Amino acid sequence: MKNLLLKFEPLIWLLFGQGIMIGTLLLTGWVLILGIAAPLGWVAPLEFEHAHELAASFIGRVVLAALIALPLWKGAHHMRHVFIDMGGADRDSKVAPLLYLISLAGSVAAIVAVVRL
Amino acid sequence: MARASHPHAMHPKKPGSTRTAAPQMPPKFPMAGRYRAYTLFDWTGLIYLILGFMALEIVWALGTGKAEWVALMERFQNPIYVIFHVLALVSVIFVGVRFFGFFPKSQPPRIGPVKPPPQPVILGGLYVAWIGISAVFSLILSGALFR
Repeated sequence: MKNLLLKFEPLIWLLFGQGIMIGTLLLTGWVLILGIAAPLGWVAPLEFEHAHELAASFIGRVVLAALIALPLWKGAHHMRHVFIDMGGADRDSKVAPLLYLISLAGSVAAIVAVVRL
Repeated sequence: MARASHPHAMHPKKPGSTRTAAPQMPPKFPMAGRYRAYTLFDWTGLIYLILGFMALEIVWALGTGKAEWVALMERFQNPIYVIFHVLALVSVIFVGVRFFGFFPKSQPPRIGPVKPPPQPVILGGLYVAWIGISAVFSLILSGALFR
């Protein structure tokens, strides 16, 4: 398992790095409006028809897929290091695949979610 | 306080010819001195994981229908969700400031024949992109743009 993880390390690092970069660029406005401003009534929540129209465009689908999938890889890789730092590297061969599988499942679901829009 | 680190940390493959002290965790690990920012940066991974799956739930509801979308927007008004999102916004800003801070320093002196721009220019570009994308995205999501 360790060898397999090492083989995928460049890909994981690419997704992790993009998770920080693209994730942070996109999540700031996303969290601010959908998570805070709209629920508190500072702005009107997007109407379904308008939100669907924006999301179902080609650019909308690409942005939403990136917004869902990339933060998952950032999260998985950082949580892997939390487990290593707090509990040692012994369990890494079990923890790392589990976390990356969760990210992979979420990424596949993200693609399905934007395709069915 | 110093404490024993993981027994296999830095364990040599073969016993050395000289005695070595048992490895110790750094005394300030995990939440004192410079380790605090390092540890918190790692723990933002949990927030990003949750945000990713919440974004999936939002897009899934959008693909399911109007009733699910309206129900989700109403659920987000729950104070627990709002408090989580405030924590998430703080986390995202913390990640951005920390990552964009060390991104210019991590650039190689040359990328093929090209020399990267000076560090302040890279840093400034990242902040302009961050603020610009966040502003445009906020305007779109609040219905002020592309209406």
